[in-house]
Amino acid sequence: MSKEIKQNFGPDEVLYRPIYETGKGFYITVSILIAIYFWSLYMYFTQVRSGLGVTGMNQPVTWGFYIVNFVFFIGISHAGTLISAILRLSKAEWRRPITRMAEVITAIVLAIGGLHPILDLGRPDRMLNLVSAGRLQSPLLWDVTSITAYFTASTVYLYLPMIPDIAKLRDRGGKLTWFYTFLAWGWQGTEKQKKILNKVINILMIMVIPIAISVHTVISYIFSMTLQPGWHSTIFGPYFVAGAIFSGIAALLIVMIAFRRAYHFENYLKEIHFKYLSTLLLIMSLLWFYFTFSEYLTGIFGSEPHEMHIILYKFTGPFAIFFWGMVVCNFIIPVILLGISRFRTIKGILVASISVVVGMWLERLIIVVPTLANPTMPLPAGIYFPSLVEWALFIGGIAVFILGFVLFSKFFPLISIWEIEEGRKEGIKEVEERIHSYLPNT
Amino acid sequence: MSKMIIITQRKIIFAAQLISLSLIWIFVIAIAFWILNLISLSIELDDAPGASIGISLIAIPVFITLASLLTYTFIGLKKDEFRLLKNSSEE
Amino acid sequence: MPKWAMVIDLDKCTGCGDCMASCKIENNIAIVSPEEASEGRVMFWMDMITVYEGDYPNIRIKRYPKPCFHCDNPPCVKVCPVHATYKNKEGLVGQIYDRCIGCRYCMAGCPFTSKVFNWYEPVWPEEFRNCFNPDVSLRNVGVVEKCSFCAHRLIRVRENADIEDREIRDGEYFPACAESCPTNAIFFGDIENKESKVYKLSQSSRAYRIKENLGVEPKVIYLSERK
Repeated sequence: MSKEIKQNFGPDEVLYRPIYETGKGFYITVSILIAIYFWSLYMYFTQVRSGLGVTGMNQPVTWGFYIVNFVFFIGISHAGTLISAILRLSKAEWRRPITRMAEVITAIVLAIGGLHPILDLGRPDRMLNLVSAGRLQSPLLWDVTSITAYFTASTVYLYLPMIPDIAKLRDRGGKLTWFYTFLAWGWQGTEKQKKILNKVINILMIMVIPIAISVHTVISYIFSMTLQPGWHSTIFGPYFVAGAIFSGIAALLIVMIAFRRAYHFENYLKEIHFKYLSTLLLIMSLLWFYFTFSEYLTGIFGSEPHEMHIILYKFTGPFAIFFWGMVVCNFIIPVILLGISRFRTIKGILVASISVVVGMWLERLIIVVPTLANPTMPLPAGIYFPSLVEWALFIGGIAVFILGFVLFSKFFPLISIWEIEEGRKEGIKEVEERIHSYLPNT
Repeated sequence: MSKMIIITQRKIIFAAQLISLSLIWIFVIAIAFWILNLISLSIELDDAPGASIGISLIAIPVFITLASLLTYTFIGLKKDEFRLLKNSSEE
Repeated sequence: MPKWAMVIDLDKCTGCGDCMASCKIENNIAIVSPEEASEGRVMFWMDMITVYEGDYPNIRIKRYPKPCFHCDNPPCVKVCPVHATYKNKEGLVGQIYDRCIGCRYCMAGCPFTSKVFNWYEPVWPEEFRNCFNPDVSLRNVGVVEKCSFCAHRLIRVRENADIEDREIRDGEYFPACAESCPTNAIFFGDIENKESKVYKLSQSSRAYRIKENLGVEPKVIYLSERK
């Protein structure tokens, strides 16, 4: 019976399959993830009950894992919307199977990352003071505003291009028809509806790019607006944005490879997609190196004592292992694996992407902790060892991300079906016409 | 009988859609009020009102644009669906 | 409007630490357990900085007390998201414990590491609990606190002055550290008042401020022959 239905639904049936067929693996994954989630929730409650003392933070290292992970997760969130918007805007045809996944990463990771400052609060019960007595001069409030804007924009940007697919699910019947009817807003695929949707998506993709850039710029401002050496740097805005896109592409590649395997999307995510995206990753790696080089060279050349002290702390001090690990992960491994075509297989790309994600996390750690650990007053250097609670909340954050992604894949197609269809129907012709318009004398 | 159920279901879903649309607007307006409240607070306390106004000039239009885009899409899609439904029922 | 400032004469200071002790008692500062303290969670509003200059065996030790500098252009106030730290018209930088959400941004932004955080619910030994200063509120877990220049003393001084219908006299308002200093190394007063002792000392050739290049304009001035 089920086999017959499959045949009725055309060539893209494999994209529907994860929604209607659920294997044992799914339940095992989800229950493990939920268990991890509850464990981290319990750990958070111990922190709420007895105070931030259960973490490894102290004076002067007043910020630790929570802020590191906040910056890291928000960085990952630039995968989506930004990349998909740029690809849509540049009319890159190969974007079609990628955009949806990228946007899902953004929405989920942004929700997780955005909650991290709350984990960091000593008094989460007073969070509403931000509403009643907020100060818009504080970069923290800039963050609240821009992350809210980005979250709203990226969910809208995820949701609107999904409407035609939701309508397909609605018309298929079966599970949750009312839910899909609600979300489809009466999509029937008429010309007028298509026109409206395309118009709005076009406006959104232009709007989303500055919002996305503003988010990570503003996050870098948290640090660069203070007067602390190692933080007070004008390069931080673009440096953070470049790093965010860098880690975002890496995360996107990991997700693509994982779900390609789990849901058999080999026909949709072909080698060419990985090749193109990994080229982007390679470019971002070089860009990252350029920014890091500029940032540290200016510090070293000026040799301002406090600045130099922190740079040496990173280069040769207790953070040397993390610093050089970051350089290896963010630059050496990706350049070797992605620059030499022999290594540029899917496995190689996966290794490079994982190394970039790890490296970018290290970078956030290297930005946050050493500056705090070396106060400019002649005080002893601070030491920071993250406690079990902080590790638990970090692992919990990752678990929630995977959980969110897996659950999403059970309700909505991970690859935009209508865009693939549109590509088949119109894309080829359009590209041909476009190329003709570029070339002289055709 | 089954037609009745379909019609009431459609009505309920339509109501839910309208509610969600108004929730979006409530959210956006709440954010606008929040920012305006913070501006009035910063003026009252003479605490960097310039910075507050600068941020509000960017933030409020962004949220309002987002909500307007959603409204535009939803109303546009819904209108066309109603037109289709009307046509099919007339036939 | 007066502008309160402190002058610390390091040529007089013996580094005895009396200011730290009197500050702790005056302001009901929590007593942190030794294990916690070794993790870097010790609570001092008035801290004692020790600098070792030179190499063994020619080491010179320099000690100086470090309260909050009550900057005139305070970086902590700029970054606070909820108006929990503020600068009033008299130049005192205060902390509203009941509004603080504990984000610790002010601590990260303070160039002088002057702020401390209540990592756990504050505790005191029984003897301390019997002699709390009723003028200073007790803090809860999860809020930032710091030296207030004993602002509660200013309230009392101002009330007396108002009753007698006069201005506050020079040397009438001083924090606990200035009162307890056995060598009278800490002076306190209105730096806007050209007649005040603090103003005169601040014009001394020995006077300097820490990290003047940052432009935060600390209102704690050190006097020292060697800098």
